[in-house]
Amino acid sequence: MRGKFLITLSVIGLAIAGCKKDNANNSSGNTSAQATLEQQVLTDFAGNLANPNYQDIQANALVMNNAIIAFNTNPTDNNLAAIRTAWKNTRAAWEKCEGFLFGPVEDFNYDPTMDDWPVNKADLDNVLASNNPLQVSDIDQLGTTLKGFHAIEYIIFGVGSTQKAANITDRDKLYLASLGQSLYNTTVQLRNSWDPAQANNFTAEVINAGNGSTRYTSRLDVFTALVGSMADICNEVANEKMQTPLAAQDSTLDESSFSHNSVNDFKNNITGILNAYKCQYPGAASGHSLSELVASKNASLDLKIQSQINTAIASFSSITTTYEKAIYTQQNQVKTVQNAINTLKVTLEGDLSAFIQTNIKD
Amino acid sequence: MVVFALVKCQKSAVFPADQYDNRLSGGDATVFDATSKAFGNAFENLSSYDGYMHEMGDKVFSQSFVTAPAPIHSGLGPIFNNTSCVSCHHNDGIGLPTAGDAQSSLLMRISLPGTDANGGPVAVPGYGLQVQDKASYGLQPEAKVNIAYTYQTYSFDDGETYELRAPTYALSNLYAPISGTYLLSPRLAPPMIGLGLLEAVPESEIVANADPNDVNGDGIAGKANYVYDVITKKMQLGRFGWKANTASIITQVATAFNQDMGLTSSVLPVESSYGQTQYDSLHDDAELPDTTLNAVKFYAQTLAVPARRNTTDATVKRGEQLFMLAKCASCHKQTLTTGVNVAFPAVSNQVIHPYTDMLVHNMGIGLADNRPDFKAGGQDWRTAPLWGVGLFPVINNPGFYLHDGRARTLVEAIMWHGGEAAASQAYFSHLSKSDRNAVLKFLNSL
Repeated sequence: MRGKFLITLSVIGLAIAGCKKDNANNSSGNTSAQATLEQQVLTDFAGNLANPNYQDIQANALVMNNAIIAFNTNPTDNNLAAIRTAWKNTRAAWEKCEGFLFGPVEDFNYDPTMDDWPVNKADLDNVLASNNPLQVSDIDQLGTTLKGFHAIEYIIFGVGSTQKAANITDRDKLYLASLGQSLYNTTVQLRNSWDPAQANNFTAEVINAGNGSTRYTSRLDVFTALVGSMADICNEVANEKMQTPLAAQDSTLDESSFSHNSVNDFKNNITGILNAYKCQYPGAASGHSLSELVASKNASLDLKIQSQINTAIASFSSITTTYEKAIYTQQNQVKTVQNAINTLKVTLEGDLSAFIQTNIKD
Repeated sequence: MVVFALVKCQKSAVFPADQYDNRLSGGDATVFDATSKAFGNAFENLSSYDGYMHEMGDKVFSQSFVTAPAPIHSGLGPIFNNTSCVSCHHNDGIGLPTAGDAQSSLLMRISLPGTDANGGPVAVPGYGLQVQDKASYGLQPEAKVNIAYTYQTYSFDDGETYELRAPTYALSNLYAPISGTYLLSPRLAPPMIGLGLLEAVPESEIVANADPNDVNGDGIAGKANYVYDVITKKMQLGRFGWKANTASIITQVATAFNQDMGLTSSVLPVESSYGQTQYDSLHDDAELPDTTLNAVKFYAQTLAVPARRNTTDATVKRGEQLFMLAKCASCHKQTLTTGVNVAFPAVSNQVIHPYTDMLVHNMGIGLADNRPDFKAGGQDWRTAPLWGVGLFPVINNPGFYLHDGRARTLVEAIMWHGGEAAASQAYFSHLSKSDRNAVLKFLNSL
C-alpha cells in the first residue's frame, strides 16, 4: 500500500538524523518554544481542521439526506438536481479529509463503508428486483459495493449522467432514502469518533500524544502518520485513481464516472493536503500549522512545499473536460497534473519526512 | 546502501559487538516505518519493472470485486468470504476476528474426519474445505459462522489478574445438510509482511530444526508439515498458513482468490461453487488474468518487514534476555538465512529475524482445533512469526493475536500457549510484573 520511495528516503533521513548534530538549518535540539509549537500544531490540527472537516461531512450528508426526502415526496428534475448538488458537496468535504486518512476513518473502516468502488451493478439490480424491505437496517446488511457514495451516485446520476427524475422507480426511491440515511449515520459515527465531548475520542489521542495517549507514544508518531497520509493520497490520486483509467484507456475505470465528478474528487484530495499542511478549513479558524513549524526551522522548505501543493492544485485547471474524456483527449494535461502531484509526493516523502524525523524529538 | 549508511553513523554503544544492526528484521528488505501503513511498503531498490509489478499488485490487493457479469473487476463469488484482499488484510495486517460482516477477517475451514488420497483433510461434499459465508445477492451463503466467547479470569503469581476468552464455533443456516460429523478450524487473515523472505528460506534449514520425536529431550518437538500443492500436484514443505498447510505464495494467493473471493484463475479455474446450487454457470473462467494473479503474488512476495524500535532500551534488552531464558526462542527462532537466488536478488542470501522456525508444534488442548491438516495434528500450529507483532495495535487498532484472534493482548496470547510451550508460558507467569512488562516491551519492539 505504499511506494518504495518512502523507504529509501526515510532511511537516509534517519541516517542524517544520527550523523548531523549541529546543522544550523536542522537544529536537533528541542527548545521549550519548539515543543510548545509542536503541541499547538497537534492541538489545532484536531480542533481547527479534523473536527471541522468531519463536522462538515456530516452537515453535508444531512443536507443530502433531506434532499432525498424532498425528492421522494416531489420527484422533479429540480429536486433531483438538488440531491446531485448535495452529493457533490458531501463528496467534496469527504475527499478533503482523505488528505489525512488516519485514525478512526481507517481503524473502523468508515472509508470502505462509505466509499467502496465499483458499484456491484449485478447485485444492485437484484436487490431492487427482490422483495427486500430496503430499510436502513437492511442496507446495513449489504456489502459495501452496494451502498455509500457510489451506489447513491449510480441512482441519481446514472451511467453517463443521463438519469431523469421520471426514470427513478419507487423501489429506487426507497433504496435511495435508506442509502442516504445509512451514509449519514456513518458520517455521524466518523464525526463522533473525533468529537472531544465523546468518550474515547481520537482528538484526545492526538493532542495527548506522548503524554498519556494510548495510540501515540510521542508527538513524532502523529507527525509521521500525518505526513505519511499526505504522501499516500498523492500516490493514490496520481498513480492509481488517475493512472489506472489513463493507462488502460478505459473510462469505466474512473471512480466517479456516473457524476463526471472525478476531477473535483482529485482536486479536493490535494486540497486536503493543503488544509493539513496549513491547518485550515473553510468556515473554521486557522490554527498553528505544520507549515509554521517547518518555516520556523527551514523557511525555504516551507515555501517549496507550499509552492508545490499550490502548483498541483492549480494544474487541474488545465483539464477542461470530464476526466472520462480527458484520458483520451487531454492526455498531456493529465500527465502534467500527475507530474505536479508526484513532485509534491517526492518532497513530502523526502524533505518533509526527513525534517520531521530530524526536528521532532518528543 | 542501508547498511552502509548505518555503519557510517555507528556508535559503539548503539549497535551490538558483531557489527550487525539487530533492527533489520528483514535484512535488506527492512523498512523504517512504524506508522499504521508500516506493513504496506515494498522492498526498496526494486527495479522499475518490479516496482511497477508491485504497485499493480497493490492496486488489485485493495480493489473490490463485483458479481459477474460486470464491465470491470468482475467475478466475485457467487459464494465468497470477502470482496477484496484488503477487506480481510486491513492495512496488510492481521484482521478482525468476526465472521459475516463486510470487514470480517475470520474464515472457517471444514472437513470430514480422516484423510484424503494425499494425506490431507477430506472435503465435505457440497462444501469443499472452506465455508463461504457470503454470497451474491439473492443466493444463500453456505452457512453462517457463529462465534461465542466464554470469559474467565486468572491470576499471575503476584496477584495481577488477566482474562482469557475461549471461543466456540458453530455453523448455522446450512444451505444443504451435511451427513455425519464434520471438523471446523477458524483462521484469521494473517499479516502480509516478509512472505517472500520466508519462501526463500531453504527447506534444508527449516527441516534441520525439526525434532518430531524430541530426540534431544528439550520438550520441543517441531515437525515440518508436508502438504499436497494444488498447482504443482506434488507433496511439498508447507510454509504458509496457521498450520503451514500451503507450500508457496502463488498457491496461497490463487487459493485465496478462488476460495475467499470466488475468483477463478488459470491455475485454479474451477469455481468454488462448482456443483453447488449457487454456481453461476457463466463461461467466464478464468476470471482473473494471469498478469493480475502474478502481480498480487509479486506484491505479497515483496512486502518489506518493519525495522525494530527501541532495541537499545535497557528494558527491551532485559525482555529479550527473559524471552531467551523462557526458551521462547526454541520455536520463535530469531534468525533464519535465505538461500542464494540469482533470479530474485531482493530475497537472496538475507539474514532475517522472523522469530519463527516455520515448523508446527503441539500447542496443547486449549488452542486445539482438533482438525488435522496433512502432518499438522489437531493440536499443532505453525510457530507464528513475531516480526511486526509490536505494531499490530498501530496497524489494526486494537490488534488481535493467535490463529483465530481470541487473544486481545500479547499477555493473553502468551498465556494461551500450552503443549510444547507450556513451560515457557509457566516461566512467564512466574515472573515479576516488571519482568513481564520487560518481555512485553521486547515483543513490542519487534
